[in-house]
Amino acid sequence: MNLGCQSFRNSLNRREMLQVGGVGLFGMTWANLFQAQAQAAAASKATAKQVIFIWLHGGPPHQDTFDMKPDAPADVRGPFKPIQTVVPGLEVCEHLPRLAKLANKYSVLRSVHSKGYPEAGDHHAGLSWKTGNPRGLRGTPKYPMIGCVTSKLLPTPKEVPSFVALGNINSHATGLSENFLGPAYDPLSIPDDRRDDQTERMLTPPQLDLAGFDRNVDMLRSLEQQIRRQDAASPIIEGLDRFQQKAFDLLRAPKLREALDLEKEPAKNRERYGCQIQHYGNTNIKGNYHCRKVLMARRLIEAGVPFVYVDFAYWDWHSGNGLDKALPDLACLDAALPSLLEDLDARGLLENTMVVALGEMGRTPKVGQGKPYGREHWAAAQFVLVAGGGFQSGQVVGATDAHAAYVKDKDYKIASLGKTLYHLLGIDPDHELLTPDNRPLKLITEDVPLIKEVIA
Amino acid sequence: MLRSPLWLASSACLLLLSVEQRASAQSATGSSPQQATPLFGRHVVPLFSRLGCNAGLCHGAVQGKNGFRLSLFGVEPALDHERLVREAGGRRLNLEDPAASLLLLKATGQVKHEGGKRLGAGSQEYQLLHDWIDRGASRDAPEQGRVRQLTATPARQTLKPGQSCQMRVEATFADGSVEDVTNLCSFESRDTVVAEVNRAGLIRASSPGDAAVVARFCAQPVMSIVLVPAEARGDFPRVPENNFIDRHLFDKLRQLQVPSSDVCDDATFLRRATLDVTGALPTPDEVRAFQADPAPEKRSKKIEELLARPGYSALWATKFCDILRPRISYQDFTHQPAPASTRRFYEWIRARLQENTPYDEMVERMLTATSLDGRTRDEWIREVLEQTEQDQAGARDNSSKYAQRKSLDLYWHRFDTTGVKGAVQVAHAFLGLRLQCAQCHRHPTDVWTQDDLLSFANFFSRVRANTGVLSVKDAAEIKKKAGGALTAEEKKKLQDEGKELANQAKQLQDQAKGKDKAEAEKIQREAKQLQDRSGAIGRAVAILDCSQVYHAPGNPFGWASVTSPLGTQQSEQFRFLGEKQAVALAGDQDPRPLVVAWMRQPENPFFAKAIVNRVWAHYFERGLVEPVDDLSPLNPPSHPELLRELCAGFVASKYDLQWLHRTILHSRAYQLSYRTHAGNQGDTRNFASFYRRRLSAEVFLDALNHATGSSEKFGATVLPGARALEVPVSVLDGAVGSKFVEYTFTVFGRPTRNTEALCDCDRETRPALLQSLYLANHPEVLKKINDPKGRVAQIVKDHADDARRIDETYLWTLSRPPTEAERQICLDYLKKSPSPQKGLEGLMWTLLNTSEFLLNH
Repeated sequence: MNLGCQSFRNSLNRREMLQVGGVGLFGMTWANLFQAQAQAAAASKATAKQVIFIWLHGGPPHQDTFDMKPDAPADVRGPFKPIQTVVPGLEVCEHLPRLAKLANKYSVLRSVHSKGYPEAGDHHAGLSWKTGNPRGLRGTPKYPMIGCVTSKLLPTPKEVPSFVALGNINSHATGLSENFLGPAYDPLSIPDDRRDDQTERMLTPPQLDLAGFDRNVDMLRSLEQQIRRQDAASPIIEGLDRFQQKAFDLLRAPKLREALDLEKEPAKNRERYGCQIQHYGNTNIKGNYHCRKVLMARRLIEAGVPFVYVDFAYWDWHSGNGLDKALPDLACLDAALPSLLEDLDARGLLENTMVVALGEMGRTPKVGQGKPYGREHWAAAQFVLVAGGGFQSGQVVGATDAHAAYVKDKDYKIASLGKTLYHLLGIDPDHELLTPDNRPLKLITEDVPLIKEVIA
Repeated sequence: MLRSPLWLASSACLLLLSVEQRASAQSATGSSPQQATPLFGRHVVPLFSRLGCNAGLCHGAVQGKNGFRLSLFGVEPALDHERLVREAGGRRLNLEDPAASLLLLKATGQVKHEGGKRLGAGSQEYQLLHDWIDRGASRDAPEQGRVRQLTATPARQTLKPGQSCQMRVEATFADGSVEDVTNLCSFESRDTVVAEVNRAGLIRASSPGDAAVVARFCAQPVMSIVLVPAEARGDFPRVPENNFIDRHLFDKLRQLQVPSSDVCDDATFLRRATLDVTGALPTPDEVRAFQADPAPEKRSKKIEELLARPGYSALWATKFCDILRPRISYQDFTHQPAPASTRRFYEWIRARLQENTPYDEMVERMLTATSLDGRTRDEWIREVLEQTEQDQAGARDNSSKYAQRKSLDLYWHRFDTTGVKGAVQVAHAFLGLRLQCAQCHRHPTDVWTQDDLLSFANFFSRVRANTGVLSVKDAAEIKKKAGGALTAEEKKKLQDEGKELANQAKQLQDQAKGKDKAEAEKIQREAKQLQDRSGAIGRAVAILDCSQVYHAPGNPFGWASVTSPLGTQQSEQFRFLGEKQAVALAGDQDPRPLVVAWMRQPENPFFAKAIVNRVWAHYFERGLVEPVDDLSPLNPPSHPELLRELCAGFVASKYDLQWLHRTILHSRAYQLSYRTHAGNQGDTRNFASFYRRRLSAEVFLDALNHATGSSEKFGATVLPGARALEVPVSVLDGAVGSKFVEYTFTVFGRPTRNTEALCDCDRETRPALLQSLYLANHPEVLKKINDPKGRVAQIVKDHADDARRIDETYLWTLSRPPTEAERQICLDYLKKSPSPQKGLEGLMWTLLNTSEFLLNH
């Protein structure tokens, strides 16, 4: 009887394993085991059941979007004008009119930032943002992404995967996909370039016709029965059977495939999400692949996927890059995000679906010396947008100084955001996971407060 | 009589005593009722450990907890005392009214304490703290609290389910005094199914098996072994023993009353051994011949035959590369992978395995490697120059020359090979020890201190090496400290050669002007070759200049030190792991050969054991020590005598790896069926049956190709026709062939060989969803099955009879003929199929998706 890696074997001691579900170890399926872990981790009452984590690839400038400083000198306030939102006291960039009208559906955090974390402001703070822990390129534990943890600890859905990643999970977080939980909890990754993607190719309807597929599966069952008649049950066989069943379910059930198939979506919706906006990025891929991922995320949430990650747009707003490259980012954001919030709300899903949108960092208070317009990396302040799933909406939490340089009120670390996400999902942030060398690590290792101001 | 204070009334073994009897036993054996003074280092700090106060998640955290910080696991009593007495305005202790001390109020939960109630007011533990405060809260002399030795009694105990036994721990302190410290220890059972232990150290046996119970006094652990036999069911079956392995294993099974499974059948043995030794499936002809062979010693003969196949060296070279992680990336300082160097590393190891070089010699030739390798500088320079030219020309088979080098200097070209990190690597790779934790603090469940690690690291701090992370700046820094590799003259000579070649190329190009097209192209090609060679020289100069490996005399890189949130520590001595005495080094002696000499001592507690345990685990799925790379004194082997005898035999064979493989393969234990019966179903660590496991990534891909009659291209680092098992590079080096191969390796868990994760478990062996999806519906897999030139098509063409076709398909996938019942199911299926080809494709798909195909069983 072997369940492979040490970290897994130790995740429950044998006594606990025997007690789970009131059946003996050999009668227990892996599904039981996973359920048991979910129960073990649940501490608070969950207000969110699903998550969309939108990673604004790069550094969206906070002072040009959700933390405008119109009274600051010209080289600080930048080229954009603020507009009033439906929330008193919150102004946003003039290029975000739809988000302005919808401001009562989300909250803006102005005081969570990455300063002090490994590689902060240097392309890799995503390692910390996406894990909720101080993870660097080297020398720190390989903390798992929050979605991997939820895959392990939340109940496993039927017919859809526990975690889907749309776009590169490692963007501004080199090496993130390797983590101490191992591959069993990895996301099902759909790359931006969907041509010839191996995973998606496996998911397409069986090259064999479905009837033929079922016939083969029937024979498989008969043959397996032959051999197993004489065998006692064993965990490795239970594990294989569980995964095989899930694989067959995914192939038979159209849910996941259909969620990924945007042809099923009315054309006007694709437009609402901004799929027609011309955008820079990978020129090998036809069309705007950013906005359609957000639409796909909504479809995946509807299909019941608990955690969806979206790598979104290209916030490379350095000086010299100019407005030509910057404005499409804003246009995409102002099309995709409001549409997502509206749709989730209209379907009654927003209440239990957390939407989080953030980048790796903010940008320098002063615009860069180079022309045309742009700003450089800045880790001490940024914005985080949160909505749905137990978050208060229409709030602004924290404040930066007159030049949007440093947080002057309600200073929060990255870990606080991670902790708040787990809290809202009903997962105890103090729950311990074991690394392969048996080191117990809390889900959130730093001793930090929740971001109480934004919890409904 | 041991000195044992009143509040620590010791108790004798309570085997089979009732509660009443226990109470009376306590008073009867309670030692002299003298009222001893509680000492801070000896009693109070260990009590903090027992209560968990100084654990990493509580006050032992780097930043402490709620303003109160203790040293992690109580390793610094002086600091702890200081903080307790002086900090927080002295409110933590109240010498006038001890009961009003914040320490006691918090610990008893009378004042709000985030850590909850840790002890009851009036308990023995409470009394101890109270007494200590009452008597002035003073600090004892360090030697009064320093433990010289811990002893647990009973060291070994056989219990029936339901029976109990008291574990006792005795400490000998540096001042010579001996004390029963049972009540100051925390206890933990390593297998709570077999035996549980309560806070007082009372062990209670629950169900059959064996377990280690660990007691911890402060940070120091000691253990006791509990054996719980099953209910005897009639006469215990006697089974023949093939060699001493069986004697030890079956002895223990007899003690535990767990009978072993039967021996597996011939086809299973052949498939199992061929996979385990060569990483491949046997062919149908081989299966048929083996089944038909009446010779009684045919299994032994097969073992010899398998060990001589090239798959053996490919499989173990892959294993060693998993452990050593040769991801070499120094070329041009670009951090780009240098797959050709990784391949040379792999081929060097493989050549040693093919020659069956004694293991100790193989390790010696890695650890003491130099770039010169006993040759002249010029010979070395020419070697690197030639390699660089060949690499640039994309020659695949240019490793054979490197493979014949005496020493593997590429060992020192890997990431982090020197100093503290290098020592951690050596400990993991060759000693089976985990020292990562000791980089910051004493390992919480192990015996290693920071000083152990640092004193060992000094042996690896005087190598001038390219540690794989060199930037131009780093290289310059190393050159400044320990000298450059090339002299100015050598450099100039090479550069002149390069210029000369470039000139010649230029002249040729000039000649090409005015020539007719064909002629001009020919000359241009020649010129290009010269240019390439000139470019290769430039590259070789860069490599030569940064990558020479040698012993750097003096101490140019300084003493080993570590800095962590807990502070900075340094060691200025050379000391081997587990040794008390430091080693004196003569003058500018290279310390590395001393390490090898120490490893080679027959009584070395780790060196032979580490490889013996790894080889064992390869064949039996779990080590005699498990996890396989955790030979901590506190992680006892399941069969200590067997491990000892295997190690002794291995050393006596002069570290003959093939002796080790052969001995294990010949044992009856290795040849047992995976099929359990009622008497041994629950066994998970005594090898009563064969433990099944999934095929590893490379072996799986080779098996898939074998079954479907197809192949893959594995990129530029292997020769055409190579197997997946012969790919030397990691997917992170990006040269494994196709996207499909990379995907297969990733999904089935080939390790990335990242230096950060030093653990044998880096190779993922678990099943996963994507693997099932892959087998069920990856288009490339379906393409292999449906290939008109593939196995299915061939079988349809070669055999007209359905039954025969079924047999062949079984033999190519599951390496056995089908049973009658299986054949019948398949015949019915084929009858209903639209065509023989379609039917057999369906059968092939089905067999590939059985657990029997994916597992070695």
